[in-house]
Amino acid sequence: MNSLLQGEFRIESEGNIVMARKLVRDAATGLGFGLTDVTRIVTAASELTRNIYHYAQRGVMRWRRLNGNTRTGLELIFEDHGPGIPDVAKAMEPGYSTGNGMGLGLSGSKRLMDEMQIHSVVGQGTTVTVRKWLRK
Amino acid sequence: MAHENISVIRLRDLLLVTVPPDPDDETVAALQEQVLAAMARHEARGLVLDISTVQTFDSFFARTVAETVQMVALMGGRTVLAGMRANVAVTATQLGLTLGGSLTALDVNRAIELLQAVSDGESAR
Repeated sequence: MNSLLQGEFRIESEGNIVMARKLVRDAATGLGFGLTDVTRIVTAASELTRNIYHYAQRGVMRWRRLNGNTRTGLELIFEDHGPGIPDVAKAMEPGYSTGNGMGLGLSGSKRLMDEMQIHSVVGQGTTVTVRKWLRK
Repeated sequence: MAHENISVIRLRDLLLVTVPPDPDDETVAALQEQVLAAMARHEARGLVLDISTVQTFDSFFARTVAETVQMVALMGGRTVLAGMRANVAVTATQLGLTLGGSLTALDVNRAIELLQAVSDGESAR
């Protein structure tokens, strides 16, 4: 199925978080990730879609299969046009939150995934890109 | 959006609550309310939260569970989290969740035994 290789999903309501988890679960399972890696990826997606909903109210999640020379992976991109993150390094510290969460969303997602990049401009929005590579 | 069904079963002076596999935030919040209401209504002394089917234990879910454990404690009850799957335990730990030192058990049977042991220990003192 094509949607397993790539797709996008709009995050506009709290209920969309559950659907985003399901889409990512299907994509990760379809790529051949094991149960524990699928759980890691889905949990990171849950944190990052909730961040979009809480901080920017709306945004988009995109996913695509990565084809490296020797390996396959899954990339998830979370993009919003919300307030942006003034201090990304600070936001990455475990336990730091400007909202009322536990402050584990960004730091925890980084630990659950293999790679994470954050691009954020105050007043323009935030893009978080995470990747997980399939272990051979 | 209608939230998923939450089953609350009374077993003597304990409550057994089964958490649905993939609850949305609204369901998680409703679960907390229902648990607290049932604790008061049944004058329960213990709560078993069966999370054996839960697939995604993220920080929002964990915070609500940790809060519920604290609230139940304020109402004189003990909570045991039962049946967390191995993959979920690995993920929760890497995410950085701590759950505020809640009691845990491998499954519902052991959770009930644990609560009875705790209760017996307290009445012996």
